[in-house]
Amino acid sequence: MSGPGIAWYLGVAGFLFGTGALGVLLRRNPLIVLLSLEIMLNGANLALIAFSRHAQNGAGQIFALAVMAVAASEVCVGLGLVVAIHRRNLALDVDRLSELRG
Amino acid sequence: MIAGAWLCLASPLAGALAITLLGTRIPRAAAGWISTATTGVAFAGAVWSFFGLRAHGSEHGTVSTAWTWLESGSFKAGLSILVDPLSTMMMLVVAGVSGLIVLYSVGYMDGDDEERRYFAYMSIFVFSMLLLVQGGNLLLLLAGWGLVGLSSYLLIGFWHERPTAVAAAKKAFVMNAFGDATMALAFFVLILHSHSLSFASSFATSAHLSSSTVNLVALGLLGGAAAKSAQIPLHTWLPDAMEGPTPVSALIHAATMVTAGVYLIARTHPIFEQARTVELVAAGMGALTLLVAGLIALVQTDIKRVIAYSTMSQIGYMFVGAGVGAYANGMFHLMTHAFFKALLFMAAGIVIHALSGEQDIRKMAGIGRLLPWTRWAFLAGALALVGIPPFAGFFSKDSIIAAALHAGWYGVVFWVVALVGAFLTGLYTFRLYFIVFPGEPSGYVREHHHMHHGHEGPRTMLLPVGVLAVLATIGGWIQFSPFWHPLTNWLDPVAATLGVAEPKNWEELVSSILAVALGLAGMGVAWAMYGRGRVAVPSLPRVQRTLEHKLYFDEAYDAVFTRPAAALALWLRRDFEEPVILTAGPDLGEAAFDTGRGLRRMQNGLLRTYVFFLGTGMAVLAIVFLLVR
Repeated sequence: MSGPGIAWYLGVAGFLFGTGALGVLLRRNPLIVLLSLEIMLNGANLALIAFSRHAQNGAGQIFALAVMAVAASEVCVGLGLVVAIHRRNLALDVDRLSELRG
Repeated sequence: MIAGAWLCLASPLAGALAITLLGTRIPRAAAGWISTATTGVAFAGAVWSFFGLRAHGSEHGTVSTAWTWLESGSFKAGLSILVDPLSTMMMLVVAGVSGLIVLYSVGYMDGDDEERRYFAYMSIFVFSMLLLVQGGNLLLLLAGWGLVGLSSYLLIGFWHERPTAVAAAKKAFVMNAFGDATMALAFFVLILHSHSLSFASSFATSAHLSSSTVNLVALGLLGGAAAKSAQIPLHTWLPDAMEGPTPVSALIHAATMVTAGVYLIARTHPIFEQARTVELVAAGMGALTLLVAGLIALVQTDIKRVIAYSTMSQIGYMFVGAGVGAYANGMFHLMTHAFFKALLFMAAGIVIHALSGEQDIRKMAGIGRLLPWTRWAFLAGALALVGIPPFAGFFSKDSIIAAALHAGWYGVVFWVVALVGAFLTGLYTFRLYFIVFPGEPSGYVREHHHMHHGHEGPRTMLLPVGVLAVLATIGGWIQFSPFWHPLTNWLDPVAATLGVAEPKNWEELVSSILAVALGLAGMGVAWAMYGRGRVAVPSLPRVQRTLEHKLYFDEAYDAVFTRPAAALALWLRRDFEEPVILTAGPDLGEAAFDTGRGLRRMQNGLLRTYVFFLGTGMAVLAIVFLLVR
């Protein structure tokens, strides 16, 4: 098998996941939060596919496909929510959307 | 024959179900007729199985099992009935007397608000009693035993708006539950040793048990018998049970249920014969009860209570008979007693009915003039009770007294007590008669007596009284100990009379002459004191007060059981419930509130906090898994 070793793939996957996580934690615009979430998921997908190649086992790629399907539906719901919030003229700020606090 | 017995058992149950399920769709009066008809069918079934058994020969008792009721390992108990001479005799007595009394109830309860409930209960009682006497194994016997206790409770408390009736029902239930418990424990011991509940195998096992075990079993059975049959020291519920409607007193608390103890001793006599001491304790208990109840009956002023004490006293005779081993004589007295005691209660019921519920005998003076037929019927019952020939009681009671004489030195003690009891019976019975019936009607009676369209009562009430008056007169002729004894022969295969309880002819003669003479003496004294009023009633205030308080049994039980229990409950409430439970509750609630208030701060609605907790949790889990591996 040719190409870079698994460590490189995992490094890129970890970088993507860390970037996404920081975005989720630090940004306040729900649109950007969703986008960062997608980046995290793709980091995870990359790791799955890398391990799949490494272990000569197709299961990881199937997982990655499933994650993509989940991500797509999640984005649908998430964007729908963002549009709904916007239509009601509410602030697009996750810190101010804290109606559910105890 | 078996079909007849099943019909006998099922018919009253069907009646109770029909009355309950039809509810208000049938008129009130119809409930009584359904109950009467189904009880009549039960009697027909009993007659059918009697003739069937006679045709087969009375020694052929048959157990018939409908289905297996309980099964656990090798232990099996079927829903089975036993048809043998003893159960057939009881079926005839129970179904016959029940039929008459239910018919009487149709007239007596006419116009009561809850006639349907009354007749449903009555049918349930008849079914339970038949289950008790027909039960083919010890478990079904116990089931019937418990069910008659339940129906007795329901019927004593039938007039539930009276606090005294409710209290009496509870008292009867608790005392009977005590007897049920000792009986159940006796059965458990038997199961432990015989692994079976069938009569035959447990009796066979009882022959191999150690004497202490078999004594224990017999004592447990005796506890059940004493509680159900109101023998000292478990007797105090019976007089209070007179709060129920009068036909209930006649049926349950005179003719059938209270005599179940005698049936139990006769049925389980192989066990009692292994524990002869306990059997004699039963006889001694009966002797004590017949004496004490006879004394207490002398001073009671409630017409039903006098008859109730007389019932206790007569069951005492039956216990003496069964206890010394003369089972057939005990069962014979059970039968004649069912006739004349039901008669006395129903005649008293007519008097009470005529006076719109008054039960105090001092207010009834002279009612015989207004109720001539009732007077004659009551007189027949009273003569049968005292044992004057040729009335029924003479034949059955004297045979018990004679059997006691033959049974050794303790037998002589029982004999003397029984003769004293005969005198007391004459005295209290005719005290009642002379106070209530003869003479000029008093002002109270004239004022309160309302004529039922010119006669004494509805035909449904008079007919059963008439039939029972005939039975109380001639019912005893079936057996005259030294000369003919078909009943003893009939019961011989199931409950053979012990050799020690078969008196010689001269003993029969002496006992009969003395018993009749003492009964007549009692009647004479009653006549002198209450009939003519010539002799003043002796004034013994202390004795009278003791007897009016029924020898302070209720007070003693109150002091020994009720008060300590109440004191314990009060103490627990003051020192445990109030300081511990009542304060612990609010404290626990407050603590839960505080915890909740603390935890609420974590839920601040900020997305990043949740993500932080999620990430931290994942990290902790990952570290834990790595470390553990």
